[in-house]
Amino acid sequence: MNKELEHSFVELLEKHQNIVHKVCHLYTNNYDAHNDLFQEITIQLWRAYPKFRGDAKFSTWMYRVGLNTAITLYRKSKRTINTQDYAGVEFKIKAEDYDDTEEQQLKTLYKAVHQLNDIEKALVFLYLEDKDYKEISETLGISSVNARVKMNRIKTKLKAILNP
Amino acid sequence: MDELDLLKKDWNKDKNNYPKLSYNDIYKMILKKSSSIVKWIFIISLLEFGFWLAFSFALKGSAYSNKLDELNINHILIPITVITYAVLIYFFFLFYKNYKNISTTDSSKTLMENILKTRKTVKHYVIFNLATLFIGAFIGVFYNFNHNPEFASKLEIASANGEVFKFYAIIFMVTLVVIGVVIGILLLFYWLIYGILLKRLNNNYKELKKLES
Repeated sequence: MNKELEHSFVELLEKHQNIVHKVCHLYTNNYDAHNDLFQEITIQLWRAYPKFRGDAKFSTWMYRVGLNTAITLYRKSKRTINTQDYAGVEFKIKAEDYDDTEEQQLKTLYKAVHQLNDIEKALVFLYLEDKDYKEISETLGISSVNARVKMNRIKTKLKAILNP
Repeated sequence: MDELDLLKKDWNKDKNNYPKLSYNDIYKMILKKSSSIVKWIFIISLLEFGFWLAFSFALKGSAYSNKLDELNINHILIPITVITYAVLIYFFFLFYKNYKNISTTDSSKTLMENILKTRKTVKHYVIFNLATLFIGAFIGVFYNFNHNPEFASKLEIASANGEVFKFYAIIFMVTLVVIGVVIGILLLFYWLIYGILLKRLNNNYKELKKLES
């Protein structure tokens, strides 16, 4: 039974792993930290899996556990404080390849999002993942109205960063 | 199109080259141990319960305890011991219940609240122990004032020298300093351990609360 459970879990996570990578990408800034957080989210998902009921979508359920691990349970290890910003590396390559305005804007936007606090990042993440305000508010435990207000503030903040 | 929509368009493109982990990579991960703050809180809490339990046992075998036996006050000591263990069981039950309630599938706010609640139970238990310890210390000093012949003779010498005030002042100061040192060490311990461990959680919880206010 346990083997079956393991198998079904690993298979599902393998298929949906991009969701976890996206969370890690948002909350860490180098490869080691990314892997570290991925590992912890995987453990937390696995622990919660026996209680996972098929009536919720696996991906929806992953958003909650993934974000909760990133903003609450995860303790940054020493390795996370180091060196190179890999998002930055990615952008440098892009900037050399294309030098148009949209790419520049995206580069600045990604950097701006990285500077937001943990809760703001969670809101942006769910928004980017096309979640509605009901789901955003349920995931974070705030009211729908407050989620919307905060989202608008974040948009204004990003606009200000982009158009100084 | 606003800035976030521009980002959304890019975000959902599949060109973001995330590492592609294989079935085996993921399988190995589920066999590893968690390093989450909940695990650490659980371990530290057990150590705290263990510390106070060990402390009460250590006290039982000490010279202080032998002195208490000589006083023949079992009618007071036995109920106190029973109450102390009942309180320990009560706090431990509460702690375990709160700990079991911690679930990563709750909303972020509920999860944070449940973690803080678990922490608070242990904190209350420690406060209870400290309070008992201090009340005990004061009762001890007070009892010595009245019943200890050694103490009475020292007091007599002091009063013969006209230093009664100095004598009481010294005893009071020593008791206060000892209590102060114990509190200081505990505060430092709490500040270091929980300050580091819960920094992120506390900040994010405050941020969520701010959104609701």
